[in-house]
Amino acid sequence: MTEQALAGVRVVELTDELGSYCGRLLADLGAEVIKVEPPGGARQRNSAPFLAGHEDDPDASLAFWVHNTSKQSVVLDLETEEGRAAARKLALSADILVEDNPVGFLAARGLGYQDLHAAKPSLVYTSITGFGQTGPHAGWAFSDIVGQAMGGIMTLAGELVDPPNMIYGHQADVSASIQAAQGALMALLHAEATGQGQLVDVSAQEAISMAQETAMQTWDFQKKNRVRVGGAGGIPIAIPGSGTLKTKDGYVLLYIIAPAGGDLPELVDWMREEGKAADLDEEPYASLISQLNMGWLTQLMGNPEDTMKYIPLLPHVNEVIAAFFAEKTSREAYETGQERRLLIGIVSTPKDLAENTQLRARDWFVQFPEAPAGKPVEFPGPPYRLSETPAIISRPPRLGEHTAAVLGALT
Amino acid sequence: MAKRPLEGIRVADFSWFGAGPIAGNTLSTYGAEVIRVESETKIDALRRVHPFAMNPDGTFKGGYNVSGYFNNFNAGKLSLQLNLNTEKGQEIAYRLLEKCDIFLTNFTPRVIDKWNLHYHQIAAVNPRIIAAYAPMQGMEGPHRDYLGFGAVLTPVTGISEMSGFPNRPPFGVGTNYPDYVINPGHTVTAMMAALRYRNRTGKGQCIELPQLESVVNTLGTAVVERLANGTSPTRTGNRSLNAAPHGAFRCADDPDSVDSPDRWVVLACRDDAEWQRAAGALGHPEAATGPKFATFAARKQNEDELESLINSWTKDLKAEDACAALQAAGVPAGVVQNSQDLLDRDEHMRSRGYYQYVEHPEAGREAHDGPAFVLSETPGYIAAPAPLMGEHTMDVCERIIGLNMDEVADLLAEGVLL
Repeated sequence: MTEQALAGVRVVELTDELGSYCGRLLADLGAEVIKVEPPGGARQRNSAPFLAGHEDDPDASLAFWVHNTSKQSVVLDLETEEGRAAARKLALSADILVEDNPVGFLAARGLGYQDLHAAKPSLVYTSITGFGQTGPHAGWAFSDIVGQAMGGIMTLAGELVDPPNMIYGHQADVSASIQAAQGALMALLHAEATGQGQLVDVSAQEAISMAQETAMQTWDFQKKNRVRVGGAGGIPIAIPGSGTLKTKDGYVLLYIIAPAGGDLPELVDWMREEGKAADLDEEPYASLISQLNMGWLTQLMGNPEDTMKYIPLLPHVNEVIAAFFAEKTSREAYETGQERRLLIGIVSTPKDLAENTQLRARDWFVQFPEAPAGKPVEFPGPPYRLSETPAIISRPPRLGEHTAAVLGALT
Repeated sequence: MAKRPLEGIRVADFSWFGAGPIAGNTLSTYGAEVIRVESETKIDALRRVHPFAMNPDGTFKGGYNVSGYFNNFNAGKLSLQLNLNTEKGQEIAYRLLEKCDIFLTNFTPRVIDKWNLHYHQIAAVNPRIIAAYAPMQGMEGPHRDYLGFGAVLTPVTGISEMSGFPNRPPFGVGTNYPDYVINPGHTVTAMMAALRYRNRTGKGQCIELPQLESVVNTLGTAVVERLANGTSPTRTGNRSLNAAPHGAFRCADDPDSVDSPDRWVVLACRDDAEWQRAAGALGHPEAATGPKFATFAARKQNEDELESLINSWTKDLKAEDACAALQAAGVPAGVVQNSQDLLDRDEHMRSRGYYQYVEHPEAGREAHDGPAFVLSETPGYIAAPAPLMGEHTMDVCERIIGLNMDEVADLLAEGVLL
């Protein structure tokens, strides 16, 4: 039996969409995570998409599955005396509590930080909310898109003529949960060393705002706002060897002119070998291609005469390169290109990811022999590989699957 | 000041760009002594890119120490300049690693090969060390040496395919998105778990975080839909399978919003009651109950029309007012904020003190992202600005590694501390 890093740690979580990935990270690392759920399950249990043929079955929501592996499920109704009493008893048996309820919701039910901290000073009480426990927006309603908007990342994504883009995958929820997992574990280390527990306060707005990249400092230093620049990257002309190109079955992203790996001449070598270099080996294109990279472009912009000489040549180079990729599959363009040290990324579809050469070669996917809805399924693996204490993913629990066992064991 | 939870932990931060240094930044914020090992022979490109601090005359400051991009990810660290392309440099690295609890890198396996920094090599001199590797694809496997960084990882991990509007190509999300929270956050999570294991057993270990695996793990349900249901979903813009309306709606322009006067309010109506409250808050309660929009199924069916209708309600409103009205009605809503909003105009962010300002000797006063989780009894804070290139070379060599001044002088002359 492999030992896990968080063996012997009990976590009680009262979470829905915002905080459940935090509990999952702790559970996969070996903590005993008991999820307290309302009768019928909360929003995430009842969210699409579902396992095909099991629509509206709270045990078959894939949205629930991806954030709730390796946990136990206990159903308690916090709107009843008995439910609250059992939840309190359960919470006080834990080392870490994780919750994502509106500010004040648990306190009104005798399960707030002050209450539980007084009863068990070593408890690490982790609260994950849209805007944190303090401040004028602490009481605001929250959903993932609200965090992405208020945290400053949507304004950077999309075409200027479109509405700002949300990033797929509940990224504000996930970011808040990842920040919370770090905080809960730091606080656990402190509690194990000193006996002192504490409140871990996570605001989803803050949690994701580091992903503004350079926008924050651009405002701080230069009083300019970065805006979304879409597919063209904010550049008025398309630069050969960069950008998102169509393939036979999808798209790839080219970043060949970046400093890493081969440059444009190496791409043309590949095209020539396949008889697709057309006139790029001839002047005036050959000398343009031999020097075209990011550094040269930056210099070029400072020299209007050269700019006027070279800019009219770019569309034709782009066309020849686009025609080359249009006849390849995305996977071929990605793998052959990378093997030639060209910076090309596949725009992976979910199907591509399920078939990804690297993920398959490294046996990343795991099996749930008996998924909650009965059928065996394959499932994405963990985010990291720990040599001594691996993360182990087991199937998510059915609603209330462990109610009797967990409550029966409480003394 | 209260003791911070990682005081006494020493970290050798051999990382660069975003994903690695941000993990080190979190450790530093919570009290670890983090030594950033860097070299002019393989300089962290973030030291040389915008945004640069400005002089009072409006020109940009120059040099390696004034990029806000770099400084924000390296607060409170010490900088040791060390040329790992030399044998002596590698020897010094080992003498440092003997004194450290955590090793951190996100260089590719090729570079780790060259510098002799594989786990089995490090563990031979320090078996208690926790060594974290965060390469793009992994330390092994057929794609081990593939090139990439955050902007390439975004398409490779499926984020690009799944994000944005379906009538647009999958051009990504405008940033090196996975570098900032997902990868460094997973790295620190694993480090904390490994520290606990070491506290209990005395054993160190190797953490490998293939960025590909780390990010695909957070890609919602897309891959599971493929694996379990055989479907291959794609991007649907700002819509949701579980809420309607769900998106960003245009409001009145705001000329005070520099460079980005277009303003948007987002909202999510996850059930009929939220929708009724939203319609009421925007002044059109009657629209909520008509046959086209009364139920979730009807709203999904008529979603284009629904979104046009809401746009017609919001287009002349101030985004902040629309948001406040929706929130007052208990509807999840927000403004699409830019950095000007977050730093200067968002009273909530200010009241929580998320951004921390430090005085940097070359860049001047600069804003930093503060801790993204707040510990009530042992709070993290930014104790010092980012180090100047090589600022602590002497200090680290003498105080931590135990070299004497003559030895340091020789190494400087030989180009090892470069």
